[in-house]
Order: sequence, then C-alpha cells, then structure tokens
Amino acid sequence: MSMDLSDALESYGIESHGLLDQMEAALLAMEANGPDSESINAVFRAAHTIKGSGGLFGLDDVVHFTHDAETSLDAVRDGRLAMDGPLIELFLKCRDHMGALVDASLVGSVPPGLLKSGESLQERLRTSLGQPSSSQADPGVSEEEIERLLLGVGQPPTSQDNRAAGEAWHISLRCGTDLFRDGMDPLGILRYLGTLGELLHVTTLADALPALAELDAESCHLGFEIDLKSALNQAEIEDAFEFVRAFSLVRILPPRSKPEQWAELIRALPEEDDRLGEILIKSGALTRADLAAALGTQVAAGDIRPLGDILVEQLAPREVVAKALEKPELEKPARDNKVQTERHVRVEAGKLDRLINLVGELVISHTVTSLRAEGVADTGLIEAVKTAGRFVEEVRDAALALRMVPIGGTFVRFQRVVRDLSHELGKRIELVTGGSETELDKSVVDRIGDPLTHLVRNAIDHGIESVDERLAAGKPAQGTLRLDAYHESGSIVVEVIDDGRGLNRDRIVAKALVRGLIESDEGLTDQDVYAMIFEPGFSTMEQVSNISGRGVGMDVVKRTIEDLRGTVEVSSRPGAGTTVRLRLPLTLAIIDGFLVAAGGLRFVIPMDLVEECVEMPEPGRRNYTDLRGSVLPYIRLRDLFSAGSAEPERQVMVVVGYAGKRAGLVVDRLLGELQTVIKPLGDIFAPLKWVGGCAVLDIGEVGLVLDVPALVAKAERREGAALRSQPWRGGIASNSANRGLTSEQKNVYIS
Amino acid sequence: MAKTIMIIDDSASLRQVVGIALKSVGYNVVQAENGRDALEKLANAAPKLIICDVNMPIMDGIAFVKELKSLPEYKFTPVIMLTTEAGEEKRMEGQMAGAKAWLIKPFRPEVAIKAVQKLILP
Amino acid sequence: MLVLSGAAPVANEETNVAAQTVTGTETTVLQYLAFSLAGEVYAIPLLGVKEIIEYGGVTPIPTMPDFVRGVINLRGLVVPVLDLSARFGEGRTQIGERTCIIIIEQEGRDQDMGVVVDGVNAVIDVAPEDIEPPPSFGAHLRVDFIQGMCKYQDRFVVVLGLAKVLSVDEITQIADSLQERDGP
Repeated sequence: MSMDLSDALESYGIESHGLLDQMEAALLAMEANGPDSESINAVFRAAHTIKGSGGLFGLDDVVHFTHDAETSLDAVRDGRLAMDGPLIELFLKCRDHMGALVDASLVGSVPPGLLKSGESLQERLRTSLGQPSSSQADPGVSEEEIERLLLGVGQPPTSQDNRAAGEAWHISLRCGTDLFRDGMDPLGILRYLGTLGELLHVTTLADALPALAELDAESCHLGFEIDLKSALNQAEIEDAFEFVRAFSLVRILPPRSKPEQWAELIRALPEEDDRLGEILIKSGALTRADLAAALGTQVAAGDIRPLGDILVEQLAPREVVAKALEKPELEKPARDNKVQTERHVRVEAGKLDRLINLVGELVISHTVTSLRAEGVADTGLIEAVKTAGRFVEEVRDAALALRMVPIGGTFVRFQRVVRDLSHELGKRIELVTGGSETELDKSVVDRIGDPLTHLVRNAIDHGIESVDERLAAGKPAQGTLRLDAYHESGSIVVEVIDDGRGLNRDRIVAKALVRGLIESDEGLTDQDVYAMIFEPGFSTMEQVSNISGRGVGMDVVKRTIEDLRGTVEVSSRPGAGTTVRLRLPLTLAIIDGFLVAAGGLRFVIPMDLVEECVEMPEPGRRNYTDLRGSVLPYIRLRDLFSAGSAEPERQVMVVVGYAGKRAGLVVDRLLGELQTVIKPLGDIFAPLKWVGGCAVLDIGEVGLVLDVPALVAKAERREGAALRSQPWRGGIASNSANRGLTSEQKNVYIS
Repeated sequence: MAKTIMIIDDSASLRQVVGIALKSVGYNVVQAENGRDALEKLANAAPKLIICDVNMPIMDGIAFVKELKSLPEYKFTPVIMLTTEAGEEKRMEGQMAGAKAWLIKPFRPEVAIKAVQKLILP
Repeated sequence: MLVLSGAAPVANEETNVAAQTVTGTETTVLQYLAFSLAGEVYAIPLLGVKEIIEYGGVTPIPTMPDFVRGVINLRGLVVPVLDLSARFGEGRTQIGERTCIIIIEQEGRDQDMGVVVDGVNAVIDVAPEDIEPPPSFGAHLRVDFIQGMCKYQDRFVVVLGLAKVLSVDEITQIADSLQERDGP
C-alpha cells in the first residue's frame, strides 16, 4: 500500500513535542506540589498518545520504549507505584529520551547510542516496578504478541496451514440478536468474506425468526451456512468474524474435514440435524454419503476427541463477557472536566502570514473605497462603506490575534532548565514567573527562546551564589530567578532578574582592558561598564563553564534581540542581583501609525510612541529645542537623504517618547493616523536599522515605518563618534547609545 | 458515493494517518478531536462508521458512544473503539456502551483498513 | 518561440513569460530574455523572469547605494528595484517611454527583485553549446557579472550572472558601509 505519510509524520513530531511539554509540566508540578491524579493522567495520556500514534508510523523504537514508560505509569495510576522524587526524576529522563527518539525516528534511524541509553532507562523502569531487572523476554511487545493482540485471537494461529487452494471452507454463522444494534450487518460480513475468496454457496436460515407479532425489527435472527473457497489459513478466516463472534455463534470447518468434525458441527448448531443435513447437501458441502457417515458417527459420539481439537473454538471469551454483564455500573472514569486541554487547530505559519497580508490589503483597499465613497455624496453608499469598515476592523483584529500567543508557554519551559541546572550546580533556586499572559507575536516568541535560555543559564551559573555563599552573605539559602513580562508603550518588556551577587565592575573593566575594548575606565559609569558584557568576545568567567559558556555569548543575545528590532539593557547592584531587560516590539505585523511626509517621502511613526505634535521652532545651529522648559533633541527626517525639494517654510515636529527617552522628529507635513500592515522591506535593506519595515499605502505607494529607538540610537552614535574624535571633550570608548538622550549635558557639548 | 467514516482521536497525527489509509481504499473521512467535537460534526458528516479513541479530553470515547447510541439515526452505526492492550476494562465498558468492535493501539494503518472493511466496504 | 511584441512597451498586465526551457524534438535549448540598457543588449536566463512591468511607482529608500532605486508595491508585495546601469557603474538609467522593470525570482529567496532596463527585446533560444565563455577583459563589466556570451542578431551579447549582480550579501555590505556616513 502506498500512502504518503510525510505530512502526517511532521504533525506527529509537532504533536509529540506538545505532549512531551505537557508531560514535563505535569511532572514538574508534581515535584513541587506532590502527586495528584490529574497530573498523573496527563503524563500517562502523553505517553499513551505518543506510543499509539507512533505505532501507526511503525516507529518501533518509540513504541518499544514508550510502552515501558506507559506500563510504569499505569502502575502509578493504579496506585501500585508511588510517584516520588526519584520516580519523577526518572520519568523526566524518560520524557527527554522519548523526545530524542521521536526526533531521531523522524529524520531516519535511531542511533545505537540512543537505544543504549534507552535500555538503561527501561531497566530502571522495570526495577522500579519490582520486576526482574534483566532482559527477560520483553513484557508484551514482541511482534507476535502485538499481532496476536491485534487479531484479538485467544491463542496463536494454528500451526497447521490449510492453504490447499480450491478447497472450500465451511462456515456456520448464527447471528446474535443484538447484531444490528451493535452496528454490525450480516451482509457486510458476507461482503467482506467475498473479498477473502470466492463465496461458493450461501444459505440463509430464517429458522430463528419469531412469529410476526413478536418480531422485533431491530433484532437479528438470521443464520448462514457459507461455503468459501479461499487460500487463506484458518486464523485469517476467523479474523473476518473478529467483531461479531463475541455475540454470535461462529463455526468454521476447514476443507476436507472428517465426518466426525461435521457431526460435531451439526450437533452444535441449533437447527434440527436433518434440516441441516439437507442444507449441507444442497450447498454441495457434503454428499449424502458423507452425511450418513457423519450422522452415523454421531451415534458413537461418546468418545470423540474434545471439541477444541478439531473444531474451531467458539471464539468469544464468554466468561469475560458474562463478568462484564454482571457489573452493571463500572467505576466512573478517573478523569474529570478539569483536565480539559485547550482546543487548538494547528495551522501552518505561512498560511497565517498570508492571511495577515491579505487583511492588510483589505484594510488598504477599504480606505480607498471610503475615500471614493465620500466623493460621491451618496449617503446610502457612505453608510454601507462605514458598516463594511467596522467589519474590516474586526477582521483585522481577529486575524492579528491569531498570531498573538502568551509568553507563558516560553516561560514554562524554563522550570526544567532551572531545576536541572540548579541540581547540577548544587544550588537552590526557585523560578518565579510573572506576566505569563502577556501576549506577543508568535514570530517574536519563536525567536526569543534562545536568548532567554542563555540569560537564564547565565544567571544561574554566574549570578546566583551557592547556598553557603548566600548564607554567609546573610541572604536566604534559596536564590530566586524571576522572569517577568509586561507591556510598555507599544513594546513588550521581558525581564530576567536574579537576586545573586551582581555584576563585578572591576572584573569587567579588567577584562575589557585585556580585550582592548577600552583604554581606561575613567569616566565610565557603572551602566557603561555593565553594557560591555554584550560586546562580542566578552566573557567574565576565566573558565568557560559548560553551563553558560557554550560559544554563544551575551553578544549573540544582543544581536538576536536587535534583529527583532528590540533592545537589551542590564542593571545590577553588587550583592543584590542583576536585571536584564529585553524590550521587544509587540508584533512584527501591524501597527497603528502616524503618517508624515518629509522631503517627498512618506514615513509611518508608530502611534504609541507619538506624544504630541508641535510647531517647529526657529531652527538654530544645534538640534535641540526647549519644550516647555525641558531640553528636547530632535532629528530632521529630511536629513536622512539629500532631499531634492526645497525645505518648506513651516515644519512640524512630532514628539516621540519611549523607554524614558524623548526626542523630536522634524517633518514637512502631518498626514494623519492610519492602521497598516508592516511588511519587511527586504534583505538588502537590513542595514537600515532605522526602518522597521514598510507599509503599502493607499495608492500603491510605499511608506517607511520608522524604528524610532534605532533612529535615535543612530543619531547618538554619530554624535558619540564625533565626540570621540575630539578627545578633549572627554567621550567614552564604549557604546554611548546606552546612556540615553536625557543627558542635557551631552547635548550642550555637542556641536 | 463513497461511505464516510468518522475518526475521533485527540492525536492529530493518528487521525491523519488513519484518514490517509482509509481514503487510499476509497472511503470518505471526517475527523473530530474528541467526543464533543464529534457530536457537533455528526449531522454534517453522516458517517456510516465511527472510529473512536477511548481516552480523550473533554469527552471521552465511552461517553461519546453512550450519547451516540441514544440518537435514533446512529443506533445502528458501527463503532470501532481504539484501546490499549492494558485497557481490557475499558473495552468492556465500551461494549456496554454499544461499541462492539475495537482496535488495539498501537496498530498499523493496514490493520485499521481491514477492521473497517470487515464492517462496511467502501 | 515567444517574442515579446518586438520592442513595444510591455503592458502593466501580467505578461506571462513563465514558459521556460523548451524541450524541442531533438535537443534542449536554453531560453534567454534579451533587453537593452544604455545602448547595449544584455541577456538573462528566462527561467527566473516572473513578469515585466512598466516603470513607475518606485519609492526611493534613503541611505541606500544609488543603484538601489527603491521599492515598488507589486500587488501587495514589496519588491526592491535595482538600477542595472548604476550597478554597472555607468550612472543611473534615464527613465523613458520604454523603460520597464523586469521582476526576477531568486532561487532560495522569498522576495523577488526588480531591475530597471531601457526596454525588452525578445526571448531568444540558444543551444547550450552556443554559449561562449566570457572574455577575460574588454567587456567593461565586472567579470563575475558575466555568465557567458551568446549570439543575438549576429552579435555577441553578455549573459548576466544574476547571482552576483543581485547578490544580497554584496548589496547589504555596500549599504551597511553607507549607514554611518549618511543620514541624520
């Protein structure tokens, strides 16, 4: 059978990792709060589903290993095994191993090393169950076993193979009265039999039909005598009755059965012997002589061999059924509604991007429509367009919300990181998270995982002290690492806060001197010094520990965040801890913007940053002005390029503010508010950090979305560079961008 | 017209694979992720056979089959339950509820095809 | 053979030039799009050409090298437009009646790129063996911009190596070097 399962396999990978994450969360919750049935169920279900679906793809290594984990989990569910610390630890390891197996299976074969480490985990699982530890035959997952279970056959298929082609099997079927109600259909069974070979003869028996008055149309009273020519073996033919034999009478006689076998059959069937005999003769299954022989034998039936030896066993495990029927009300399922998982539909990210693009186009074309409509002075039309506009807005919001995800999902992953690392380092650290519900664009979330991991590792490794050290310093033995997220003026801020020893200024300075990053630390504020940890190649630790020093440094963190058009700041107090603050754009897709024109071009300023618009005062020699008593530096957008057009007589200044800074942007004209889709400008424009992307405007024109922080930073850098080239003005060698715009002094120095 | 089969399981990949398998031999396939979802989709799908996992969030297989069998139009619709080898008790419970056929996880797609064919041909 | 209406201005409509390598009855021929630029004829493989549109609606992007004319909005997609003549160091193209933008799809990149040319001439079929190696000098063009030479109307024309001409890495580098120099 050829089926292309590659797509399905891919979703299996995604699904498995989702389940493994749930499993991990449940395990960690139990480690913190003790076991509860809900979490145990969640863990079990994860293993169960991964195994079940893995089997469909024939991922035997995954199935094999997960089976053992599931067995142990089943014991935990039944209360035979206690979910204690060591067991949670073991299951966490198993969880990781399952992840590795799934990944390896998806790309090809599982490397032997991985299998090896799995075996030792399986060994430990068995030991925990109190099972004989060493490699006895596998508990239950041998090929034959699975096959057997799948077939639902009580015992292994008979060894004798009746493949004598051209020979007919005789099958007697007496349907259970509930057959229809069970969703079965005798006709369906016959049709299926027809696919197994050639139906030579089918006789329908209505003997069991009651009188019409008593007839229940929903009950089945039919019986069949069937002759089937098939090359299949007995087990395979039995298999056709897998679903009906529990409640129906099924007897199968292999070809060339002996008279005594026929005799047994006839005796076992409910109908009169003579009537059956006639049917069998009529269908050609038996000759009259055979029948005579059979019935003759019947006379001497007393010492006939046990039924099971010759005839096919009655297949239903009757006692089991009976037992079940005695138990009218089984215990309520252990699950309750609290374990509801959210209902999600997985959608390929590309499709969402496309949707958001299209919505953007819709917003734009609607703007054009409404402008046109207003020109027509048709009130009905204007009304209609307005109504459409409301929906367009709603569609836009809904589409955008699709890509917004809470950051909590990212935070949760760090529970494990913190737990493992602190164990490894012998430290006691608690992870506290805040603002988990803060939403941001999926594309941003996807990309901050690595930088955050690095920051968290760094804080645990270098920031938070050992228990002894902490106690000696009069701090609680347990250190705290906080992950916080919140919205602030159109950005999302993510903070990594530790209560450790803080950054060591002297060591950073020493290192920076060695690395040639600075010539002296004279005049450098602590902020300036701390900022240097983000310089490429900077690492404060003499030895690169295997925890945080894995080649990726803080410079990579900084670069990644900047690529997202975000910023990184660090603050620290010796002995009290360090805070790293990441400021990220909320979404990379749509903004409320303020449209302005300068030098023939149109720019979009993110609306959240706009504080006010003021008339441009008399231009002076210096680029700052007095805004109600405070100094406001400004940037002329016209200076971005050598604008050909003449400078207009009156210009306007848009005052923007972010992260405690303020600046003015001088433009030619204000064109009003708009809501627009930010599109990437393209790879070749990546060096233009001050452009956050572009927006397609109404008449097919493109406006540039300004990245205000980058624009300001650029202005700062330029002036910093100018300062450095004039040493007597006392600039610093490091990144002046971190000092911000607020320093009045700086603006006075600059000329 | 091809007969429609409904697959109910919380594992999307399982639904996908079983779906592909059944389509490859000529059935129509509709998916649902749990019992509740399935009940909502019943009317539109009008399945001739239902494959249903036992262990699912929101509404499990047993509860689903009970509900299903209380609907006159699905009284005679065959249901194949998906269970584990450890789930003997569940299987009994399923039979009580009205599902008389079952498949034991893990199974290969071919096995699912065969099980369905035993009950209805495409 | 598909000829783009001789030398007439190409309409803004989607001129579908998607037909690629033509597998003839006996041999495979390569197809090239011939266009003129500052009095010269050049050729590019037809394979990457998505469409050809009339010049217009280009938004300039400040602080970019002068051979980047800006971006256009092509049915909602933002496409950078390069001035080939400026890229070759021969000054910007004068926009005329026949000036058009060839939209080129780049292998492995999501974003298409547009190049400004003076006019499109024709699609030409060339047998692979008729592609000559570039001359080691004399073309007055960076050697790595030349993929080879082919015959068009009995004259040798340069087949451009688009990978280098449109190299994102190179353009980015140049743009990067301009960033701290220009601007506010």
